[in-house]
Amino acid sequence: MADDDPNKVWPTGLTVKEAEEIHSQLIDGTRVFGAIALLAHFLVAVSTPWLG
Amino acid sequence: MNNSRIWLVVPPTVGLPVFLGAVAVGSFSVHVAVLSNTTWVADFLSGQELGSSATASIDGKVKTAAVTDPAAKVSMSSYDGERITVILPDGRHAEAVIDDPGIDLALEDRLREMAGK
Repeated sequence: MADDDPNKVWPTGLTVKEAEEIHSQLIDGTRVFGAIALLAHFLVAVSTPWLG
Repeated sequence: MNNSRIWLVVPPTVGLPVFLGAVAVGSFSVHVAVLSNTTWVADFLSGQELGSSATASIDGKVKTAAVTDPAAKVSMSSYDGERITVILPDGRHAEAVIDDPGIDLALEDRLREMAGK
């Protein structure tokens, strides 16, 4: 099938490999953001009246 | 990678700003909601003990309401001669201490009447 062709250029101008690469970067960024946010919320929870 | 094929039909130049913008708007609005419903951030920024202004504002409401027009702002739940427990319109409970034992007798009678005693 044409959808399985790794060299096919899709409407956005990307190949499957390029799409996977940009998606992995997005996932990594989200994980870093989430980790920092988790740490920040923990510090706020222990140092302020937030959450009672 | 799972879901990565979204970028084959959604241009990253559109999808990434939308995604990051949604995260930014969502987190900003949540934080505004938290900060606009608490007082301890203002305490922190003004160097006061966290939570101190909340107690002060409750006390202020109770004293003002009790002396002027209690029925308009609070509902009285109990009065034992020294302390007044009130239920504020938003459901919070507050307790006011009457420091002056020589409180106006007419006012005291009125408070007891409101508390049902």
